[in-house]
Amino acid sequence: MIQKPLLTLFIFLTSQLAFSQGFQVNFQGQKQQGMGGAGTALPLDGASLFFNPGSSSFLKENSVNLAMTPTFARSLYVDANTNQSARTNSPMGTPFSVYAVYRKSAESKLFFGIAAYTPFGSTVQWEDEWMGRFALTRLELKSIFIQPTISYKITDKIGLGAGFVYCTGNVNLQKDLPVMDASGTYGHAELAGKANGFGVNAGIFIQATEKIGIGLTYRSQVNMSVSNGQATFTVPSSLVANFPNGSFSSSLPLPQVVTLGLSYKPSDKLSFALDINYVGWKAYDTLAFDYETNTTSLIDTKSVRSYENIFAFRGGANYEFTEKIAARLGMAYGISPVQDGYVTPETPDANRINFTAGISYKVGKHFTVDASVFFTHVKRTDTNIETNLSGTYTTNVVAPGLAVIYRF
Amino acid sequence: MKLKNTHLLVILAILSITFSCKPKETEVEFSAGDVDATRFVSIGGLSTSGFMDDALYAEGQENSLGAILSEQFKLIGGGNFNQALMPVSSDGNNVLGFSRYVLNFKTDCLGVTSLSPVRAASSGDVAGFSINNYSASVPFHNFGIPYLKSTQFNSPSVSNPYYDRMASNPGSSTVKDDILLCNPTFFSLFTGMDEVLEYAKNGASMGSLTPVYGAAGIGFIGSVNDLLLDLTSNGARGVISNIPDVTTAPFFTTIPFDGLTLDAEKAQTLNDIYNPIGIFFQVGKNAFMIEDPAAGAFGVRQMVEGELILLSVPLDSLKCNKMGSVFPFRNEFILTNAELTEIRNTITEYNAALVNLGINYNLALVDSYTFFNQLKTGIVYNGIAINAKFVSGGAYSLDGLTLNPRGNALLANEFITSINQKYKSTIPKIDATKYRGVIFP
Repeated sequence: MIQKPLLTLFIFLTSQLAFSQGFQVNFQGQKQQGMGGAGTALPLDGASLFFNPGSSSFLKENSVNLAMTPTFARSLYVDANTNQSARTNSPMGTPFSVYAVYRKSAESKLFFGIAAYTPFGSTVQWEDEWMGRFALTRLELKSIFIQPTISYKITDKIGLGAGFVYCTGNVNLQKDLPVMDASGTYGHAELAGKANGFGVNAGIFIQATEKIGIGLTYRSQVNMSVSNGQATFTVPSSLVANFPNGSFSSSLPLPQVVTLGLSYKPSDKLSFALDINYVGWKAYDTLAFDYETNTTSLIDTKSVRSYENIFAFRGGANYEFTEKIAARLGMAYGISPVQDGYVTPETPDANRINFTAGISYKVGKHFTVDASVFFTHVKRTDTNIETNLSGTYTTNVVAPGLAVIYRF
Repeated sequence: MKLKNTHLLVILAILSITFSCKPKETEVEFSAGDVDATRFVSIGGLSTSGFMDDALYAEGQENSLGAILSEQFKLIGGGNFNQALMPVSSDGNNVLGFSRYVLNFKTDCLGVTSLSPVRAASSGDVAGFSINNYSASVPFHNFGIPYLKSTQFNSPSVSNPYYDRMASNPGSSTVKDDILLCNPTFFSLFTGMDEVLEYAKNGASMGSLTPVYGAAGIGFIGSVNDLLLDLTSNGARGVISNIPDVTTAPFFTTIPFDGLTLDAEKAQTLNDIYNPIGIFFQVGKNAFMIEDPAAGAFGVRQMVEGELILLSVPLDSLKCNKMGSVFPFRNEFILTNAELTEIRNTITEYNAALVNLGINYNLALVDSYTFFNQLKTGIVYNGIAINAKFVSGGAYSLDGLTLNPRGNALLANEFITSINQKYKSTIPKIDATKYRGVIFP
């Protein structure tokens, strides 16, 4: 009979997902996902290590939290000139998070925590031979942040916390080259590399009154630099010397995020959370590739991205029906960092509204199962100034997520 | 029952998540506006015939301007577009009996091997030119006939093997007769380039440019007007293009005027020869020497900026046998500034006339002149950088004069833009990435 509640949970998959803005992925906690992605001023579980390390010290229990949010994104491109269309057949995204928080005793003011999560990344695979094939055929961007954290409750009302972030990831970018061989096959370029970087995640949490909480966090920019990437070119044999395989270097900034969060608990059963993110996307100004060996055909490239700093607003409510069952609803509005003229098939981004819902179910004394679901619909029409690709991108994202939490 | 309902809900939830997420595409109806493309004919010369890589061959014809346009017209009810295709398996033929060019490795007189246009076969498909393909029941629609001048539209005595292949009655029918036999409902007219092209590609050394004025068969305006009068008399509508500055093609721009690179020894040799007549050479870059009867007593001089060397110049003679230096280029291999001025002034006059004719006959107007200039500067199409450079530019075929399929697709898009503007139609443009550029071995 345990199976049945699990299945029921699955139906209401509630979660907070903010697959949002650029290649940011806001799936770091199932409870928060259910509330539009807000949680900076509402410590609910181990995911507070990400949302606000300062609030972790207000948790009442030790816990280990494992979560996964399978993400299904489907994009459609309709070309403005030809009215031809193309679709993505991207594989399922697999953002995950792992959190462990521990304190020695119930009286201890010091919490230790370790977190691993995936705040940036996506895989976009466009259909074969689509009209934008010379701009992009596939982009795979993965990053894992690992964050050891200390959270300290200075007073009954104030918690401070900070984590050191080590980021490791890889990137794989592919596109076709407009050189055709006798069989009618176009050339292909694949740029693959590993990257890593460092950062911090720090926050303060203030339980201003019994009902009102305030949180402020800073997650620093992480520069992911690829120093020894491998460029592989498949070209007609007569052009092999023009496109030498070899190493390349590049870098990608993962932007800083400043978040102000508020929470309000009008009753024991009901709570509201609101987060305002300010994301430093301006750091993503140029995507440059520096090839070790240049030829007249293979020159270093600098593609202007000109992202802008943006705000995102996330809010939601949590209602505890019983001791065992809680449900959540949320929404988020995100402003796109991508300016007109710079929309690319990598991130066909636009301002967006996200809808989320979630549910929790306590199983026995030690376990909690959280589930969430996220949906967003994004539409953007643009003519890219670098490639002249002109059309409308429509993207739907559905992401059901599930977490299992062990409390002790 | 309760359990079953739960199962149903689970299945529904999973299905909706899996499938609801695919964005829906809205169906678009393309409007013909005032275009009736039931019987569409394409009229012109070399650049509309499908001639490319210096030969007429089936693949080129299938990617001719008219053929590409007709594909889009089918979306608004257009009919078939029949052409006098060369045999599909053949490597084509031109008036000199040569096959098409393909790109391959070639070793020059210096022993340097590099990619170069070479003939696909030792001789052209001459048999493909000896057959008349006309059939009254399946009339042809591509009246792009290489080197057909406007003055020859209504001349029965055109000695043009490209027309003879498709003529309803070779030797007595005229191109205009055959066009009218089709009873076209819509036409594209891209004429005037061939008045200029043959003259220009021979270095302005033979023949002459068709005069702007004069009666049909003599002057450009009169000849085009005569054709348009008959074409439109039954109510057909159409599109007319001005012509590009043909000297923007890579055939004219690939070899730089100052490409004579000298070391000390060679510079000394040339100085010994030419210093007495006041011409000096230096180590490094120098302008090539040309014959020019107007250049003083010796009739030779150095080229000046803006003057063009044609791709017809024998490259081995240039590289190894002192052509362009000790032996100045003959007139047939170069266009001097005086010759270029004559050609370009004529193009300007033709274009003014073509615009006027377009207005008089209420036709859609295409500005090919501007399009080809943009191509020379370079454009970016769906992420592909395209320009008018030889081979690497990706728009011209291997003869350096005619466009390749991708170039034709881009040009066809200019026609569609003009047609849509004039006739309030919504014909979609062509995805030019689906058309090949240059093929590399």
